[in-house]
Amino acid sequence: MKAPGTSPYELWEYVLSQVQLSVSPANFNTWFQSSSIVKIEDNIVYIGVPSQFFREWYLKKFNSLLLKILRSVSYEYRNIEYVIVKDARKRPAREAKSDKPTIELPLNDFYVNKSDNLNPRYTFDSFVVGSFNELAYTAAQAAINRPGITYNPLFIYGDTGRGKTHLIQAIGNQFKKLYPNRKVFYLTSEKFAVDFTDSLQNGTANRFKDKYRQYDLLIMDDIQFLSKKDKSQEELFHLFNALYDNNKQIVFSSDRSPAAIPDIASRLRSRFLVGMTVDIGEPDLESRMTIIRKKAATNNIELDSRVIEYIATTVPGSIRELEGVVNSIVCQTQSKGIPPDLAEVRQSLRSLSKPTKTVSVKHVVSKIADFYGIDPDSVYEKTRRREVVRPRQIIMYILREDFNVSYPTIGTKLGGRDHTTVIHSCEKIKGDMAEDAELAKEIEDIRSLLV
Amino acid sequence: MNLSLEKKNFIEAVQKTARFAQRSSATLPILSCILIVSGDDGIKFRATNLEVGIDFKVAGTSKEPGVVAIPAHLLQQLAGSLSGEGAVTLEQTGDVVVVTAGGAKSVIKTVPYEDFPSIPLTTSSEHSFTIAGSTFKNAIEAVVACASTSTVRPDLASIFFSIEGGMLTTVATDSFRLAEKKQSLPQTTPTVSMLIPAKNSLDIVQTIPDDTITVTADEHQLVCSWNGSTLTSRLTTGSYPDYRQIIPKENASEATLLRKDFESALRHTTIFSDAFQKVRMGFDQKDNALKLSSRNADIGESEESIPARVFGNPMEFSFNHRYLQTPLSLITTESISLTASGIGRPLIMRGVGDSSFLYLVMPMNQ
Repeated sequence: MKAPGTSPYELWEYVLSQVQLSVSPANFNTWFQSSSIVKIEDNIVYIGVPSQFFREWYLKKFNSLLLKILRSVSYEYRNIEYVIVKDARKRPAREAKSDKPTIELPLNDFYVNKSDNLNPRYTFDSFVVGSFNELAYTAAQAAINRPGITYNPLFIYGDTGRGKTHLIQAIGNQFKKLYPNRKVFYLTSEKFAVDFTDSLQNGTANRFKDKYRQYDLLIMDDIQFLSKKDKSQEELFHLFNALYDNNKQIVFSSDRSPAAIPDIASRLRSRFLVGMTVDIGEPDLESRMTIIRKKAATNNIELDSRVIEYIATTVPGSIRELEGVVNSIVCQTQSKGIPPDLAEVRQSLRSLSKPTKTVSVKHVVSKIADFYGIDPDSVYEKTRRREVVRPRQIIMYILREDFNVSYPTIGTKLGGRDHTTVIHSCEKIKGDMAEDAELAKEIEDIRSLLV
Repeated sequence: MNLSLEKKNFIEAVQKTARFAQRSSATLPILSCILIVSGDDGIKFRATNLEVGIDFKVAGTSKEPGVVAIPAHLLQQLAGSLSGEGAVTLEQTGDVVVVTAGGAKSVIKTVPYEDFPSIPLTTSSEHSFTIAGSTFKNAIEAVVACASTSTVRPDLASIFFSIEGGMLTTVATDSFRLAEKKQSLPQTTPTVSMLIPAKNSLDIVQTIPDDTITVTADEHQLVCSWNGSTLTSRLTTGSYPDYRQIIPKENASEATLLRKDFESALRHTTIFSDAFQKVRMGFDQKDNALKLSSRNADIGESEESIPARVFGNPMEFSFNHRYLQTPLSLITTESISLTASGIGRPLIMRGVGDSSFLYLVMPMNQ
């Protein structure tokens, strides 16, 4: 006797062992090999069968037998239902991939075009334009409309997850649409380096050169990975010259500005700067909200505007993280049937968001003082020298914004200042940041130091 | 059981049902039999292999009701040996059946029929539609050659059958080529969409008559019925890839030529194709010709230029010649058009003036 509550799989194994005793082997092989218990719910056992033929025959021939066996396990099993399941039959071992020389039709949802490496999912239609990437977007459009002439090369940089790859792939896809007869190629700098070393090893360097020189638009992603790879850099330098002289459009992306990529030959660096260099900044609140809305809409989910705002403000940093959050909401919605409300989102985001960092005021002060090259002690003094005042305000701002230290505490810790002074400083920096991109950049850099 | 029927009816019934019986007896032996049922609602021949099943009604006189199961291959051989006019009688005594046809008399051992499965002859769906059997056959036959024969992807081993707004569309693809056939039906035909396993669809087209048949289908099962006979097939559960997306919209080059020219040039060029069955095709706008060439390192090479009207850019592709051959028997018009959209992209073949059929084939890697 088996205890009820055994797993469906075990139960079915037991049933099979009993059935085998009462039917002929031919019958058993024909009718029972491809069935299984799908689930047990409310004491009804659901048996999955491959087709209607099986269902009818089970109902007619085996129902009472199966019920008797199940009842012998437990009287709790009330009934059996038969459901037709999607090809439950054991799939034959995956066919050995025959060496088919014919190209396959792209029937799969996600495919990357082999001839140009572009992912057709990345288009301008799905690209959200906001103040943070407006310039980059405009530059991209200009480069497409007059390829090789207006901005060559187009160099796009920005932190990870800001949509660089999306933008440059969209350039490629748009280019393909506008000029079907011209050749586009997208690759990462890493792929370029690997390709190059391979060609050297195989002694096909000339073919390598020819291959890359034929393109009308070459897009190279994550160029910063070429740093320290001197030979690849040299090859890129020659390739660049060849394409540039023939007015072929080149697009680069990197996670930092050309000037900030370490260990890159200066002749290459200066070439990066010949055309247009634009950065994609951090998406502002509105853009983030648009991105969330768009992402949710592509999944056919309408989110409450308060939920969108909450996500946009709480989830920090990259668009990729935003997408992750939206994806998890989509998943929740699909399992529940309704989009989660604000409270639920807050609950699920709690686990995602970073814990508030605790850090000593002293540490922050010394790091920031270091950054500006001033003496940490001067921060605590009552001096109003310009070079100290600014850093001090920034320290207050950072302590308040990033570490949630209260205004009075900041005041006391920084040499016994009044909390209103601290409030004023924080407001001032906040205000200045909105107008002064330089300052915003500085604060970004400082934040990265403090992580 | 005791019944008598016309020879030609007997032969037809055996031939139509035998293909539904299991061919190998590896599984249940009864599945390789034909069940002959004689009763109040006439004489019926039944067979199934659990994928497809048939309940075929035959005209004849039933003198005594009863049921027997006889191996299908035996009946097939017997039916094949009959000739001329006259009646056939089947009479059961004990566990044998005596078959008399003219002066010939054979005694056949029957198989116990208790294990013969019931055939699901109804579906859970109440929606049904009627369609001319010939239209149904056309729809399947025009595309079935392109369905995948592998079982790895059940969706591609099926024919996509859909009726929408009075338009019947059937599609089959094995991911190297794709065929689409469109036929119009009366506007009132309901919207239907199903995946018929290609293997089963061949059994269906071989069996259904050209006259009107009634079709019902639910998620798992398709039932066709006519004149008291019923046929049923399992359907593939799942969805079909959105093939419309891969039909190229733009055309870079186009050639129009006579089908018989292309056919004979292809037959000629194929002789010299290599192990990959490769044939090169070139669009030559200057000479107004479509050029086919092939080369086999062991045998030799050949080239043929077919007069054609060519527009667009000169272009060259390689194809598997078998894939080029397939549509030629499916296109009925005198002239065909070949449309290329670019290197590494599919080539479209159509009959000129016939928008009902479309054939798409992928080139080979260069």
